[in-house]
Amino acid sequence: MTRYMLKRTIGAVIVMWAVATLVFFMLRIVPGDPIAAMLFDVGDPAAAEEIKEKLGLDKPMYVQYAKWFLLVLQGDLGNSIYGSNIQVNRLIAEAAPRTLSLATLSFIVATMIAIPAGLIAATRKNSNLDHGVTFFAFLGLSMPDFWLAILLIIVFAANLHWLPAIGYVPLSEGFWPWFSHLILPSIAVGTAFSAIVARMIRSAMLEVMKSDFMQVARSKGLRENTLIMIHAFPNALIPVVTVMGIAFALLMSGAVVVENVFSIKGLGRMLIQGILNRDYPVVQGTILIISAIFVFTNLLVDMVYTLIDPRIRYDK
Amino acid sequence: MDNILKTLTAEQRTRIDDEVRDAYDFDPRDPLFGLSRNDLSGSEMKRRTVLRLLAAGGTLTALQLVPGVLGGSGELQAAGKAGGTLTCGWAGVGEIRTIDPAQINQVLQFQIASNVLSGLMHIDASLVGKPDLTEGFEVSSDGTEYTFKLREGVTFHNGDKFTADDVLFTYNRSKDPKKSIHSRILKNVKEVTKVNDYTVKFKLGRAQASFLTKTLERASGRAMTIVSRGGIEKLGVQQYGLTPVGTGPFKITFHELGQGVILEKNENYYDPSRPKLDKVIIKPIIAAEPLAAAIEAGDIKLIGGNPPAAELIDRFKSNPDLVVKEAPGPGFQAVWMNPHRDPFKVADFNVPLPELMKQKGFKVRLAIAKALDRERYLKQARFGRGYPAYGSINPAMGYYFDENLGDDSNQKFDVKEAQKLLAEAGFPGGKGFPELTLGATVQNRRDAQVVASILKRNLGIKVKVETKDSPVLLQDFLAMRYDMMRIGSGGDYDPDDGVVDWMQTNSKFNGAKRDKSKMKFGYWSEDEADKLIATQSVEANVKERKALVQKANKITSDKVACAFLYHPMDIKVWHKSVNVPAESLIPALVDLDRTTLS
Repeated sequence: MTRYMLKRTIGAVIVMWAVATLVFFMLRIVPGDPIAAMLFDVGDPAAAEEIKEKLGLDKPMYVQYAKWFLLVLQGDLGNSIYGSNIQVNRLIAEAAPRTLSLATLSFIVATMIAIPAGLIAATRKNSNLDHGVTFFAFLGLSMPDFWLAILLIIVFAANLHWLPAIGYVPLSEGFWPWFSHLILPSIAVGTAFSAIVARMIRSAMLEVMKSDFMQVARSKGLRENTLIMIHAFPNALIPVVTVMGIAFALLMSGAVVVENVFSIKGLGRMLIQGILNRDYPVVQGTILIISAIFVFTNLLVDMVYTLIDPRIRYDK
Repeated sequence: MDNILKTLTAEQRTRIDDEVRDAYDFDPRDPLFGLSRNDLSGSEMKRRTVLRLLAAGGTLTALQLVPGVLGGSGELQAAGKAGGTLTCGWAGVGEIRTIDPAQINQVLQFQIASNVLSGLMHIDASLVGKPDLTEGFEVSSDGTEYTFKLREGVTFHNGDKFTADDVLFTYNRSKDPKKSIHSRILKNVKEVTKVNDYTVKFKLGRAQASFLTKTLERASGRAMTIVSRGGIEKLGVQQYGLTPVGTGPFKITFHELGQGVILEKNENYYDPSRPKLDKVIIKPIIAAEPLAAAIEAGDIKLIGGNPPAAELIDRFKSNPDLVVKEAPGPGFQAVWMNPHRDPFKVADFNVPLPELMKQKGFKVRLAIAKALDRERYLKQARFGRGYPAYGSINPAMGYYFDENLGDDSNQKFDVKEAQKLLAEAGFPGGKGFPELTLGATVQNRRDAQVVASILKRNLGIKVKVETKDSPVLLQDFLAMRYDMMRIGSGGDYDPDDGVVDWMQTNSKFNGAKRDKSKMKFGYWSEDEADKLIATQSVEANVKERKALVQKANKITSDKVACAFLYHPMDIKVWHKSVNVPAESLIPALVDLDRTTLS
């Protein structure tokens, strides 16, 4: 197991390096001059040259890459090109708790809706309940999250005044302020994911319930609840956990649109803003972190498999 | 603008006419503008004195005197008590990247900086420069030397005393292009010397009309917004950009990118009666609908930053809990046509207009400019908010704005004439006209589509809208890589902002990154306009400067430097529980030092 983990970790680091390198060069190839954009209102060519020199953007691409890579090896993701040239590490450290909060709550919302919905749909196959769950799953999948977000704001913030319309409050300022600001965005993000997971649970459960061991368990006279919760559900979890792992990684990389609607600056919004501004260090740093989230979440999912299914072992 | 004036009573119009007449009743050669030395001394200026100075400064319009439009007069400060916390939403922005005056280049940034930092001068609600960190100033007879007596007893937020050394430190920092993006603004300042701890002298290379109102202005100039040496040394440049230390009415106690900014009352502000509020919380809000919901729900009480989306304004106006103020905004928007590409090709604009009118490329340019139904455009794209533009001098500039240009310009809307010109150029009814692209930012897609639809309707030509991210579009614009482009200017308070920055052969936006071996000039080059613009920039007599500005503006309009489209509106929205006095209604700014809560 340790050997396997080590191999996977090395693989993950290589993937991260490849992604970051690709992004480094692609960013510089795509059109758009960050300095011109930065100086639009000012337009002083002397200032533009000075800034280019200061930021090292006048150097050949391979020199820029070598410099950046050496800094990354030391844990320094560089400084943003824009504004106050804040360290990317600091920007990520500020955005990550917001994304983590939103991702965790959205994940909980998605799970709370998806598991009962998926189980009900599977155990009441072709019933009205199943059709209802399927209908709402498709509705959740089809409805753009920003639209749901705006609807939630209009109803619960603007009209009922129950919850705040926008913003994020850190957990350090109290549980309720933090939680109340995240309820609406978590529902907006979690609903779409719940639909995907519910559909996955339904099909996995239907597959498992047809298997021989379920027939045996049923013939032994086990109660339906025991059959479903003890025998069927854990066996249906393998594909579900895979999807949920990817879903969590996706959530951690930022629900950009919903973050925009609720004015929460998470990793996703930071990345998009960085791309729009051609803020190379911010884009490179954020993508490096996001790729790390993806590869390590996948690793975590692989480990969770061993807990769910004792037959899965990574040792020789 | 006419609509606003039409809403006035006969009595109000008479009063405004009388005040305008009185304001201009002076000899322009008189260095005191027909006022006595007593009128120009002390800490308070009477209304008549202010209006005279506005007229002499070239920024007075009748519109500024309309009660409640730009402040000016007639609107009493609403009752409100000192203290409390005001929560604001900064519209259309995800984060306030920097508030360091040496780096800021967006209105939404200097709206905050103006509450935190000070300058030697500050433009008030009537667009006139008033002393800020000075107690007074003297100008030499040739207009090249300014001596400032600095305000004594002023301290920075960190407790450091403000002295002449800080003016020198700010000057030296701002003139260095490695440290400031505004170094260009100080090129005409040859020397700044400290006479004593509270007196400084500026030596200019040549007389400069905009020195007081732009270079030394704390918000619009940014180059001489006073920064704290101690603050920069202690915090470092990065942190200073987030939480700059200044001498303004508020100090920044929190700033996290994307999360917001918190301003708290500066207890040691030089004017003990200000600020009224204890605390201001500023939250950046990108999307339009959440912004509307936030102010309707009471989560925020005032909107700053970019103007709210035009489609929200009628909704806000119908809400009895909200106050909406609309006024001319400082800027212009246009459709640019590349004179180096067919069918807009013009090899040389330096020929008399009648000859230019015979050229095929010019006919097409003029046809486009004349076919732009600006009223329709404003209705469809801006929900009726904005003013038709025929030049780069905007109505918020007041005195310099040419109200007759819409009727006098070659670009005057005339569909039949436009169709005739297009036919003469070889494209009758738009037949055979190549399909061109109209570049725009992603945010301006709707605007560009309306332009395309108007051109299709009026000229029968097909224009394909192509949207790009701002940095890419800007790069294309500067390199002259476009057929047509929808782009424009903002934050233009002084005629220099409209004509020097845009309408000279060497203007900073005029094809600065083009291939100079292939293109002799950028989007436009005209010798007479160049000369007039250069002359107006140093002309001290406002009446003569006005004549020069308007003449240059008309040339750019007649010879179609671009197809001018509209001047934006400055829109301010706040909850009725917030009392914003008239004197704080400075176009584009959100000065909160006099604001109170009910």
